Amino acid sequence: MLELTELKKNYGEITALDGVSLRVREGEKVALLGPNGAGKTTLLSIALGLLSPDSGAARLLGRPPREALAAGRVGVLLQDAGLPDDVRVGDLVGAVAGMYPTPSVLADPELEALAGRRVLGLSGGQRQLVRFALALAGDPALLILDEPTVGLDVDARRALWRQVRDRTVVFATHYLAEADDHADRVVLLAGGRVVADGPVEEIKALVGGTEVRLTLDTMDEPRLRSLPGVHDVVVEGATATLRTGDSDATLRALFAGFGDVRNVRTSGVDLESAFVSLTGKGA
Amino acid sequence: MRSFLRFEVRRALSNPVNLVFLAGFPVLLYLLWTKVLDLASGPVSMVSMATYGAMGGALFIGGAIAMERSSGWLRQLAVTPLPAHGYIVSKLAGGMLAVLPSVVIVLAAGALLGGVRLPAATWLALPLLIWAGVVPFAALGVAFGYSLKGQSANIAMMVVYFLLSVLGGLWLPVSRMPGGLRVPAEYSPAYQAGSLGWRALDGLAPTGTSVLVLAAWTALFVLLGVWRYRSAAWR
Repeated sequence: MLELTELKKNYGEITALDGVSLRVREGEKVALLGPNGAGKTTLLSIALGLLSPDSGAARLLGRPPREALAAGRVGVLLQDAGLPDDVRVGDLVGAVAGMYPTPSVLADPELEALAGRRVLGLSGGQRQLVRFALALAGDPALLILDEPTVGLDVDARRALWRQVRDRTVVFATHYLAEADDHADRVVLLAGGRVVADGPVEEIKALVGGTEVRLTLDTMDEPRLRSLPGVHDVVVEGATATLRTGDSDATLRALFAGFGDVRNVRTSGVDLESAFVSLTGKGA
Repeated sequence: MRSFLRFEVRRALSNPVNLVFLAGFPVLLYLLWTKVLDLASGPVSMVSMATYGAMGGALFIGGAIAMERSSGWLRQLAVTPLPAHGYIVSKLAGGMLAVLPSVVIVLAAGALLGGVRLPAATWLALPLLIWAGVVPFAALGVAFGYSLKGQSANIAMMVVYFLLSVLGGLWLPVSRMPGGLRVPAEYSPAYQAGSLGWRALDGLAPTGTSVLVLAAWTALFVLLGVWRYRSAAWR
């Protein structure tokens, strides 16, 4: 469905993509996960032929991206797409649906309620819903969504993901939870590279989990590393930071095995710091 | 593409801003010239102002393109099956169709408020001649729309609009201009567009020069537009 080969893209001094390859097969739900500036939007723009790479190639549905879009089998929701203000929502969605070989208008009660309104008066979330309806207007075989739930409330998010359920979809997000709930494969992007690519569980173990900080008078890094659930240990003097996928088991074993452990604090790992540890950049 | 064309035509025709801008303003100017200041003859001024309004309508098709380029709507369209030329064609069709009612309104104001009396055939020919005369400005507008983005395009076009319409004698007849300006004025697109209607007032057909000059300007502006469009495309 989507095939990217060794994509490279620089903006002046800044490297946006540094050799990214990706294959998405029919039926897959792929989350493109990464912090802001990871290259997600650049990657999608190249995949859609909106931007040309410095080197490498992109193919959509087995053809050059622009041809695939012209054939009308791809639905796209862009992050920065504007809408004309002076038109009614129903007319707009109808006009765009009419461009596709298989027009389909999203059957969503909230969208139907907006049909007679002009775009000018819509809230940010309502506009996003309209953009989503435009992405689905051709009953696409492949959906490409860039940060689709930005500005949507909980109900609208749920409605959006319900529509996505039976389709092949590639979506960019910087929320691990969103990738967890709606993707079966996660591609982790950081600093313009794919740093991990695999099933959700695998990626969650890498970037998710809990951080346990503790103080030990007699530091024993190998033993800390062997505690259940622990997949990363950083030692600084008498302080150690463990990263664990199962904090309950780790803590139980920690208190049982280390009599002199003090100052134990736990915190959820945020995505940004997980990326730092994965890419080896930063602190 | 057909659904988008329909959408754009409906959009252009139902836009009240268009009507105020393209008809309301020229009608006010016409009344100012002929009734308040008594500077110009009724029929000539009526044709001048109808041409002036139509010219704005054609030019500002490009303004709409510039606005949609900066709002990101063109990025959205770029990921639909609509070809890029389909967008321009629809914009031109909608914009040029929206010019026609405004021309009719200015002419109607001439007849009803200004007491202009002309043979029926002339009344029928005038809107079509004026409409055809402003075709080069649609091409010029597209060139602007793909050169500048957002509000800066509109400001630049306002300046060009004003200069070309003054130079073309739509505000004050070319015959009252200083000698050195007269020759460039007579080869300017606005003057030739206006002359189609002015001659029709006397029952005369357009001259070959008019047709040639307008065709040349159209060709030039189309080339300019194609060049600007190629370098900007969907961006």
